[in-house]
Amino acid sequence: MSKVMLRRADAQTIPLSFTLNGRLQELAVEPHELLLDVVRERLGLTGAKRSCDVEVCGACTLLVDGRPISACTTLAFEVRDRSVLTIEGLADDGRLHPLQEAFIEHGGFQCGFCTPGMILAAKALLDENPNPTEDELKHFMHGNICRCTGYKKIIESIMAAAKFMHGSRA
Amino acid sequence: MLRPFRLEEPESVKEVSELLGRFGESAKVYAGGTELLLAMKEGLVHYERLINVKNVKGLNELASDNGMVRIGALCTHRQLETSPLLQQKLAALVRLEQNVANVRVRQVGTLGGNLCFAEPHADPGILLLALGATMVAERASSKREIPAEEFFVDAYETCVEPDEVLTEIRVPVPARNSGVAYLKFGYLERPSVGVAVAFQVQESGRSIHDIKVAVGCAGPAPKRVPEAEEQLKGKSLDEATINISKAGEIAGRAAQAISDLHGSQEYKEHIVGVLLKRAFQNALSQYRAVQS
Amino acid sequence: MQFEKEVEIQVPREKVWNFIWDVDRFVACVPGCKEAKTIEAGKLYSATMIEKVGPFRVEFPTTIEVLEREDLTRIKAQASGADNKIGSRMKLSLDVKLREQGEKTVLGFVAGVDILGKLAALGHGIIKRKADQVLDEFAQAVKKHLEGDS
Repeated sequence: MSKVMLRRADAQTIPLSFTLNGRLQELAVEPHELLLDVVRERLGLTGAKRSCDVEVCGACTLLVDGRPISACTTLAFEVRDRSVLTIEGLADDGRLHPLQEAFIEHGGFQCGFCTPGMILAAKALLDENPNPTEDELKHFMHGNICRCTGYKKIIESIMAAAKFMHGSRA
Repeated sequence: MLRPFRLEEPESVKEVSELLGRFGESAKVYAGGTELLLAMKEGLVHYERLINVKNVKGLNELASDNGMVRIGALCTHRQLETSPLLQQKLAALVRLEQNVANVRVRQVGTLGGNLCFAEPHADPGILLLALGATMVAERASSKREIPAEEFFVDAYETCVEPDEVLTEIRVPVPARNSGVAYLKFGYLERPSVGVAVAFQVQESGRSIHDIKVAVGCAGPAPKRVPEAEEQLKGKSLDEATINISKAGEIAGRAAQAISDLHGSQEYKEHIVGVLLKRAFQNALSQYRAVQS
Repeated sequence: MQFEKEVEIQVPREKVWNFIWDVDRFVACVPGCKEAKTIEAGKLYSATMIEKVGPFRVEFPTTIEVLEREDLTRIKAQASGADNKIGSRMKLSLDVKLREQGEKTVLGFVAGVDILGKLAALGHGIIKRKADQVLDEFAQAVKKHLEGDS
């Protein structure tokens, strides 16, 4: 369900056409609209969270063309003609992604607030580096903050998913 | 939420410069937006127009010729941290770029944006000072090359004119008999103290020459510290190693450290000394590794 | 934040004292201070303080109240202002002392500056530095004005 936006008559609008979770989306945005607001408020996908609002915590992480960005500090028009992945688009027709399975099996989340961003960032990591060392994992994930788990279970979850997806590190 | 603004999308440096000239302080260059949008969200600044420079071609290229690496101002930190060319010619810069902020900021944040915003707690400027880099600023009809020492004026202030656009950063490739190192300290995402050192070792006398020491993050803007360099220039490697503590003290005092949430002035001054010592050792090891 | 400044001015104490109460000339010495008005002579004044740090600009419509005065010797004042666009407030306390030293006057002051609200996001350190700069420039400007006159 999308909310109605009231616009000033002279507002500049930018046609935004992009792929969202594999499907084409077309809408018009004003230059100042933030991607996080468009995704949450206009498109109703609330997995990404507004948390620190200063690009530090990672709770708003989305993947644009497979790469992690802070949706809280990204202008919506920047995703024109690109592909955006939110946590809602990760499962394949009801079948959870190995990362999601791993987080469940290994206790990689408690309150779940950081989890959508955490899993998307982990996906970007494994897409780029299928078998990371723990140091490489920590370096990549250091921009995603969790207040509950103490990170150990998150690391285990991601490593387990990597192993499942690509086999063990040689 | 951001207050509304108009978006301009010029396709040439000339157009950008003309827009800046026409709209003055009510317009701002917008690239990655990782600093700008934060300030705008906080309500600390507002612009009626943002000039998206990402459609201007040729500003995000990386090239090397005649011993000079040319980095387009719109190169993202991610581009730099993953560049094989940079790894080969300026490994110390790659290491620095790998550790800027976090992976999401590195994805869209640009080197040019980082330098122009001139946030005091930033890394790249410090190393670029130690490497003797120059910044190229262009207007509609002119172009000038600014030495890094002149580029940084104060906190959030560079010498780039209101209608100028930073287009390129030029870094001389360090010679084979060099050591270059950048070290930083910080427990918050922004660094609290940053120190860079770069030197060449003269083959004959096995002494140090052409040494540059730069400090930043602790004070309002990154700067070189000639008085610290004097402690090391022309000295043998052993003498320099003995003098490094004194050089560190001098660099600490020169850092113009400000007491804030990142630490007290005294603490930061002390850390400058520690980092200079370690960076020097680091650079020395690099030099020795290449010799063997 | 507290600041202490002292400046030696090569003119007699009376001249400095009178200069302070000459609102227009005095205000000209305060960097970023504009549109000074006397609301109640000797007691209440208003002015606009405009300061910039890089791209960050703040405009404080300010009210200045004189709390105590000892002729030729001391002035205690306080000032406050708010920039609603940026959501920040400024509070200033000022304790000014004049001391005679032969033909010279030593003008000393202790200033307490507090910046509240969003501007504090810039960092205590940057604001402290700016306030220090402004007060330095002010002290030097007063000296220059008075010594230039004679």
